[in-house]
Amino acid sequence: MRISLGWLITHLEGPLPAAEMAARLTAAGMNVELQEPSGDDVVWDVDVTTNRPDAMNHRGLAREAAAAGCGSLKPLVVKVPEGATPVGKLAKLTVEDESGCPRYCARVVRGVKVGPSPAWLAARLERCGIRPVNNIVDATNYVLLDIGHPLHAFDLPRLSGAEIRVRRARAGEGITTLDGVDRTLTPEDVVIADAKRAVAIAGIMGAANTEIGPATRDVLIESAYFAPVSVRRTAKRLGLSTEASQRFERGADRAMARTAVDLAAELIVRLAGGEVAAGVLDSAPSLPAPPTIEFSLRRLSAFAGCEIPREFVVNVLTALDLAPRVEGDTVTCTVPYHRVDLDLPEDLYEEVLRHFGYENVPSVLPSFAVSPGKRLGSWPLTERARDALVAVGAAEALTYTFSSAELERATAASPLGDRGAVVKVENPLSARLAVLRRSLLAGLVDAAGGNLRRGGARVLLGEVGRVFFARGSKVVEEDRLALALAGTAGPWDAVRDTDFLDLKGLVEDVLAQLGVESTEWRPSTAPLLAPGEGGEVVAAGRVVAIGGRLAEPVAEAFGLPAPLWVAEVDLGAAAADRVPSFRPLPRFPAVTADLTVRHNVSLSYAELAAAVRAAASEWLEAVFPVVRYRGEGVGTDEVKTTVRLVYRHPERSLTQDEVNAAHFALMDTLARTLAVSFQ
Amino acid sequence: MALETLERARQEFLAALAEAGSDPAKVDAVRVRFAGRRSGLLRDLEEALKSLPRDEKPAYGKALNELKKLIEERLGAAQKAVEEAGARREVVDVTLPGRLPPIGAYHPVTLVRREIEEIFLRMGYSVADGPEAEDDWHNFEALNFPPDHPARDTQDTFFLEGGLLLRTHTSPVQIRSMETTPPPIRVIIPGRVYRCDSDLRHAPMFHQVEGLVVDEGITFGHLKATLEAFVHVLFDPGMGVRFRPSFFPFTEPSAEVDITCVFCRGKGCQVCTGSGWIEILGAGMVDPRVFSACGLDPSRYTGFAFGCGLDRVAMLKFGIPDLRMQFSGDERLLRQFEGMRR
Repeated sequence: MRISLGWLITHLEGPLPAAEMAARLTAAGMNVELQEPSGDDVVWDVDVTTNRPDAMNHRGLAREAAAAGCGSLKPLVVKVPEGATPVGKLAKLTVEDESGCPRYCARVVRGVKVGPSPAWLAARLERCGIRPVNNIVDATNYVLLDIGHPLHAFDLPRLSGAEIRVRRARAGEGITTLDGVDRTLTPEDVVIADAKRAVAIAGIMGAANTEIGPATRDVLIESAYFAPVSVRRTAKRLGLSTEASQRFERGADRAMARTAVDLAAELIVRLAGGEVAAGVLDSAPSLPAPPTIEFSLRRLSAFAGCEIPREFVVNVLTALDLAPRVEGDTVTCTVPYHRVDLDLPEDLYEEVLRHFGYENVPSVLPSFAVSPGKRLGSWPLTERARDALVAVGAAEALTYTFSSAELERATAASPLGDRGAVVKVENPLSARLAVLRRSLLAGLVDAAGGNLRRGGARVLLGEVGRVFFARGSKVVEEDRLALALAGTAGPWDAVRDTDFLDLKGLVEDVLAQLGVESTEWRPSTAPLLAPGEGGEVVAAGRVVAIGGRLAEPVAEAFGLPAPLWVAEVDLGAAAADRVPSFRPLPRFPAVTADLTVRHNVSLSYAELAAAVRAAASEWLEAVFPVVRYRGEGVGTDEVKTTVRLVYRHPERSLTQDEVNAAHFALMDTLARTLAVSFQ
Repeated sequence: MALETLERARQEFLAALAEAGSDPAKVDAVRVRFAGRRSGLLRDLEEALKSLPRDEKPAYGKALNELKKLIEERLGAAQKAVEEAGARREVVDVTLPGRLPPIGAYHPVTLVRREIEEIFLRMGYSVADGPEAEDDWHNFEALNFPPDHPARDTQDTFFLEGGLLLRTHTSPVQIRSMETTPPPIRVIIPGRVYRCDSDLRHAPMFHQVEGLVVDEGITFGHLKATLEAFVHVLFDPGMGVRFRPSFFPFTEPSAEVDITCVFCRGKGCQVCTGSGWIEILGAGMVDPRVFSACGLDPSRYTGFAFGCGLDRVAMLKFGIPDLRMQFSGDERLLRQFEGMRR
């Protein structure tokens, strides 16, 4: 809110210097954010919070300044020079919708001369960001900025039947507002109408059909109190936010409606001449009793944590027009109509404390009974996953939860991504942020692609976060970990391209850190992954992870450099941390023997190793691959796998002869049970 | 006795040679000390032979010869190694980079989140979480944002098909904590939040951490002291902290908390628009309407709540200029944090 300092101090007796006033207002919650000179004046930008519509004007801010000790608020003097003709002879008022319009006041000024406003007034409006139009419109805007009440002026002869009817709009009723836009209304909207048609949308904007123009002679000034919710709903639906609507939807001052119409009439006569008709059309001249709030001084001090002197409390509340009455420990305040934000004792504690000065409340740490804090909910799991991610060397990324529908669909095409329907955002910022991700890869592949395009030689990104599924009417959130790997691997003097086993190693490491045991890898047919280059990890009959090369069509469709290796892990599969239990150290030496097996590629390593374990002697302690060879010397669909077998007897040393015998027996069995040869 | 002298000489020689390593000068010094023609230890030991009783001479002589042989052999080997190293200039170029395993990096937001969590865990707070897809009750209504209230405008909300919304702050977890846990409550709530907004200083998604304390007798002074302690640990103990009155629907009274500008140390700069202060936290005493919404007795309990943007703290602590850069997954940024732990 832009405030003219020169204008502000017209409301104050004995104002403090500007800098001191700005500091005190800021300390009291009216944050003066910017001060810039403008001609012989200074313009402030004041951040008035949404609960304080009463301070969105010069007099309201002056009241705050007075309460903050910057001077005293001058009384508001209004003298309307009325003519003889009663207003009732010139115009008629009917409020049909009292809930939407609890009060409507109107005055009539006849014989005005429309023209430009004097320079001083135009300058004040401009400093506050309002363009001067003509002396009548400017007068209503001036009153708005001066005391905060929105007004509207109609060209009286253009009001059909010289009549104001406040009613609900008819379904489909049209109106052309002052900004030149044709708008269609609904019965939810409150309008100001004449005998025939709508002439304003209540509390938001007037219509072109009754606009003040150069030829206007007679004016009807509207000063109403419209219900906040009604104005807000209409303004939101129309996407139309005006100086008036912002104030009405926060809560205007129903008592001020009458004062404002008087001030406007007085100003119009000063600026444009004419005669004010006698009296006011007022739909609700008697106001409801103002609410009162009672609070205890003792509780106030207990709440603050320090003694707040009674005299201080009374002075502040008096300066804020709250008329405090003190009886013993109890203070009773009467809430003026302009303070729509005060309801409970705590609301008054705030009034006192912000003027007492937050800096004057001593800081004292609370003393708590000793009980250690801990991580609750999914935090222990997600933190463990984040540690695993970083331990395998990934850079932790945080990517958007949103994605485009297309990329999201492509990255969710896996057993982890199809656990429910996609959740759509109703009001996305753009098509790229249209849906919630079902896979962390939606953001991660994009980020990995960006790194490659910027020339990154190796990419290892990871993320731990949530994915979202629509299941029935519910949105289910699951915690996931994902990895994206691309470019080169290996130390600097042995650089090679990354491949599936690099990715698998990362996934195995992560799964081990998450305590996921007894997993089985099997080929995946998920469309997300390239055929023949993807796997899924099954634990307890459920897919807990996927990993492989991003399918070519996906990479191509989204402009992602290939090959990109991706993996995702369902953190729901994580188990408790493994607690190592000591196994006695072996007392006798092991004997190792290598076995090179030539076989068709259709025999998987897992099958081969399982066959070895099944057929080997009971002394077999471990079996693992040491060489894998394809190429010259083996058939095109063949592979040579060398496995190392470790034999050990628990109670004695094995002899080489014993191991040889066991080894040959194993080869015999394998040759019989599998289509393999040994060379 | 004499044999012991020889044994001691042997041990001294081996130790001296080991200490000399592959330094040519040191190896030569060992040679001079033990095998030097004029003053070497071996010469002294040979001299000693002459003065020994006749019956001790054979054993001593034999041991002395063995020692001489050992010293010659070892010195020869050491000198050869030194020469070879010299000839090849060096065995390894120790300045070549080692074969490093990949080093991971926590995201800067994770680093500041954990740092903040640690501060509060030590003060006895727990770390809570809640859903990101929230309902209107927890995100707004229970927090005293009535339907059709203008305060909702400050929370540009993403709505989801099916009636839920993306939480606009971590405050709904305050409500969830109060609904499920009887006081005393001390929690902090870090997490992702969403606002329909995007420019240099705003992203449609960002991270907050929120704190909540509910008990009997909690005061505004407690709130101040807690946040001052927090800022002093997170930044430094000399950091100025300023509380300005503000408005949040779920706290009464409310405050915005400024700290001394970390860039200009309060002198005034572009970042702080010349004020010397930057806003870092929102806070206040829990509004009694919120207690009532959660089924807690506002005449018995008081409490305070506070919140701040984790991304913003990361930007301030690490000097990251653009909020959205943190969500780009750009490894040139992320890998600047390699090896940092919290």
